[in-house]
Amino acid sequence: MTNIDIALLSFPVLLLLIFLRVPIGLAMLLTGIGGSYFINGSFLMIFAQLKNLTWGTFSSYSLSIIPLFLLMGQFATLGGMSQSLFKAAETWMGHKKGGVAMAAVGACAGFGAICGSSLATAATMGQVALPELKRYGYSGELATGALAAGGTLGILIPPSVILVIYAILTEQNIAKLFVAAFIPGILAAIGYMIAIAIYVRLKPGSAGQRERAPYSERFRSLIDVWPVLLVFIAVVGGIYGGIFTPTEAAAIGAFGTGLIALVNGGLNRTTLKVSILATASATGMIFLIVFGAGVYNAFLALSQLPQTAATYVGSQGFNPWLVMVAVLLLYLIFGCVMDSLSMILLTVPIFFPIMSALDFGLSPEEFALWFGIIVLIVVEVGLITPPVGMNLFVINSMAKDTPLSATYRGVFPFVMTDIIRVAILTMFPAITLVAVRLLY
Amino acid sequence: MFDRIDRLMRSLAALLAILGGLALIAVILATVMSVSGRALLWAGLGPIRGDFELVELGTGFAVFAFLPWVQINRQHASVEILTMHLGSAANRVIDVISDLLMLAIALLLTWKHWAGTLDKFAYGETTFIIQYPIWWAYASGLVGAVGFVLVSIWCVILSVRALMNGESQTHGETAH
Repeated sequence: MTNIDIALLSFPVLLLLIFLRVPIGLAMLLTGIGGSYFINGSFLMIFAQLKNLTWGTFSSYSLSIIPLFLLMGQFATLGGMSQSLFKAAETWMGHKKGGVAMAAVGACAGFGAICGSSLATAATMGQVALPELKRYGYSGELATGALAAGGTLGILIPPSVILVIYAILTEQNIAKLFVAAFIPGILAAIGYMIAIAIYVRLKPGSAGQRERAPYSERFRSLIDVWPVLLVFIAVVGGIYGGIFTPTEAAAIGAFGTGLIALVNGGLNRTTLKVSILATASATGMIFLIVFGAGVYNAFLALSQLPQTAATYVGSQGFNPWLVMVAVLLLYLIFGCVMDSLSMILLTVPIFFPIMSALDFGLSPEEFALWFGIIVLIVVEVGLITPPVGMNLFVINSMAKDTPLSATYRGVFPFVMTDIIRVAILTMFPAITLVAVRLLY
Repeated sequence: MFDRIDRLMRSLAALLAILGGLALIAVILATVMSVSGRALLWAGLGPIRGDFELVELGTGFAVFAFLPWVQINRQHASVEILTMHLGSAANRVIDVISDLLMLAIALLLTWKHWAGTLDKFAYGETTFIIQYPIWWAYASGLVGAVGFVLVSIWCVILSVRALMNGESQTHGETAH
């Protein structure tokens, strides 16, 4: 058996373990350790690596941004910022047809600018917006669909935990990836609002009417949003401007949101404990996957499979765009059953070298940025595609009187806009890259 | 007796997670101080020397300390699409196997991390700037690693017990 055979055989083994509900990080660790045993003929090498690899991964400076962003998101939920964002969006857009749902999406986008996680964004905004949507007569279908979709803006709009992982995997500049994510993130929010506008016209009974807010109230509502703006400018602006490292920016963001929560009275001993435990859950889960993927990918690299596959695909004269479409379809299918982080960690080390070997008429760096954003979007679609879409579960569990099947139906128009957006961004890389070209 | 150990394990995991969280908060404060110092160079202040080494120390300790909490609450990401169609007995068997595998990995990681700590101690390696001995940092990780092993053993006991009694286990809620 050649090394390539071993690597190819490892895929079905890994998938079998994963589909038997073995935790994904654990499955990757086991397959990676087993695989390197078969390549080296002994455990000596992998065991020697493990002496330093665990600490090396857990204490990595570039990965330390992840728990900091997660804690920042937790503090942001405590600081009442989700309420003030939604209030502001609602007073400005609430009177339009479907306006309260649009406001929820807009507030998700705003919250996404200070939170790097989709589930946290969906959960936080769901708490604030669901009761309001119900009060104004929005159907459970539309309300849960809009919020589940809006939650994905948490990751699409920087800062974003998934982009940090992608940057590390492909050795790209995090700041440039954040810049590149910005326009597609705004387009996502606009797309969702258009979907709502069409939805309420096709199904007139699904949304009620909210009275128009006077301008005095509108401007007053903006004042309460300033802390969000301040944190966003400090964090993302600091990273864009090269003033802080991303880790420093995340620490400052966590400090800022923590301070705001403290001032607003949202942060006390009990809520601090809850925030820490939630951060511990998410961080521990993410790091086990990152660590497992590190071991598994080291094994794949040892087997030379990614390089061989890249050379093979590069020499076959395939149409790059067809390969791209095939890869994106694969992501969409996998996204129906798998979480976004595991997908990125499993697939990028294999797909990235293959895709880089194809010619899309972009420089290597521009290709990496563009591919990263597209992949980010398609894996995020996985969060809202049935049957396994975490955002759907999170939002649905909050809306007690809405059955899951209604949420599945409600999210459909949003998935459609996602697919349209992916198609547009794939066809026109310039949309993603224009901000990077202007700024750097 | 059983319930007492269960409570003890859950408190241990929670305590370690909180300690890890406090380490993260220390990292945040140190970084903010360092960045402020850098911004106030003109006022005679300066950044904390080797601040990134403190960040690495703090997060390394924290991540190790978080592992027991994730395990005891069964919050590791997994795919349930196929197994949810299997019967509850089959699922309990899977629980036992998967907890045993997790225990094996917890033991392996702790054993190797211990060996790594001894190496760093023997060579007297220090970090570049602050020059604290690296084995301190490694040893701080051992705290969480040992907790991870203990909790993993307990999880095996819990899932074996559930298999024998035919009762379902309490699963933690989804991580946000």
